Amino acid sequence: MKLHRVNAVIARHLYESRRNFDRVVDTLWWPVLDIVMWGFFSIYLTHGKGLQPGFVSMMLGAAILWTMFYSFQRDMAVAFIDDLWCRNLINLFSTPLMLSEYMAGIIVVCILKVIVGMTAASAIAWAAWSFDVLPWLPKFIPYIANLLIFSLAVGVAITGMVFRYSTKVQALAWGFAGLLMPVSCIFYPVSSLPKWLQDVAWMMPMAHSFEGMRQILAGNGFSPLHFWWGAGLNAVYFTMALMFFGWIFEKARNRGLLVKQE
Amino acid sequence: MLVEVENLGKTFGEFHAVDNVSFGIERGEIVGLLGANGAGKTTTIHMILGLITPTSGRISIFGKSMATHRGEILEHVNFTSPYATFPFRLTVLENLKVFARIYNLKRPRERIDEQLERFGITKLRDKPISGLSSGEGTRVGLCKAFMNDPKLLLLDEPTAYLDPEIAWQVKNTLLDAQREKGTTILYTSHNMDEVERMCKRIIFLHHGKVIAAGSPIEITQAILEEEREEPALEEVFMRVVKGKAA
Repeated sequence: MKLHRVNAVIARHLYESRRNFDRVVDTLWWPVLDIVMWGFFSIYLTHGKGLQPGFVSMMLGAAILWTMFYSFQRDMAVAFIDDLWCRNLINLFSTPLMLSEYMAGIIVVCILKVIVGMTAASAIAWAAWSFDVLPWLPKFIPYIANLLIFSLAVGVAITGMVFRYSTKVQALAWGFAGLLMPVSCIFYPVSSLPKWLQDVAWMMPMAHSFEGMRQILAGNGFSPLHFWWGAGLNAVYFTMALMFFGWIFEKARNRGLLVKQE
Repeated sequence: MLVEVENLGKTFGEFHAVDNVSFGIERGEIVGLLGANGAGKTTTIHMILGLITPTSGRISIFGKSMATHRGEILEHVNFTSPYATFPFRLTVLENLKVFARIYNLKRPRERIDEQLERFGITKLRDKPISGLSSGEGTRVGLCKAFMNDPKLLLLDEPTAYLDPEIAWQVKNTLLDAQREKGTTILYTSHNMDEVERMCKRIIFLHHGKVIAAGSPIEITQAILEEEREEPALEEVFMRVVKGKAA
């Protein structure tokens, strides 16, 4: 892997982020809007309803982290779709650029975008509802890492699907995370799901991350069990996503899909 | 031989896009790849670039197999086609900077300015691609194609969308590159006069197969099956398309 080629992909997508208003909206608008909406909703729920202390923090923390997950996997697929829409893949892959360098560049850009979005959302949460994410951050980091790895796995898998089926399935970039949302138990504990769905939820690294974070916010400390379950599941999903992507890329090259215009 | 293509084949399901094609290109040659739409020209070029995996056969460039040395080979190869466009919102300069980074050029800005001047589009440097005409976009593609000073240039209809004056300038630039730097060029075009002027040798494809190869006059005589003193590729093309050859 050559760093200058990874840098080229980073530069290409940073230029896009600067010039494309859609990408600015994706990076800043939705994270901020989400936190404002969930902030007001949480405040409304706590007024005279006798909810447990720290409820607002839990909701806001969950909203920030869900937005992070959603943004990361969407941005990965959208970065690829951008190159597909403008028929730039032929130009890129007729150079020495390797697939791994292309993906590495996209991942770096997504991390930068997530940092920008999360910083904006956290600043709003702090300014409007005095929810300061910084004291929690060190304890959250292992769970955040698990969330990011899972979003990477989902992003890689969706990008693979778009490689294979082109823009016909591009809606997955925006919609697939929604499918995982009910079993990720972002705003409610796993125990609130029906029994059969709880079993599904425990197969999701996200459910372990959010459950672990709720334990921290409730003052019960860091749960190694939830962390290791999440990490183990991630190892499986991430490996599967990479294998799927490698297989689909070869298939795409075999079928001439790389040079298809859309 | 700079390029060696041996028994190259590509099938998509039941369809044989390229069928047992073999040819070689010497260093510094300009070779025309001709044929009607669907003859297999673009698929052949895409296989040479590694964008499509061949079903059979072998491609070797600079004496190395494309299947095993793709990255190494493509450092010294470039390509352009009017059908491969650039990100619309990025400016011409930003797009070319991306490719300058990919090729790890030492003085990228200098190199970009040289290319923009070469193709007469310096004034478009800070314009987004979406604001360019088709001909201007084609010239940005040509700037990209010369960015790494390639030893092998694959040009898929490089003068499509260009007005005659600009097309003439582009042809001269290509001939200069071949004369001064010994650039090897594989060229497809539907403009037969252009091919006659540019190419010393032509490979004629029809339904994925090579039906004739040689100089324009040899191709003319072989396909029209009569003695001619001047090449008549337009006539040859019409004869092939109407199915009177092969």
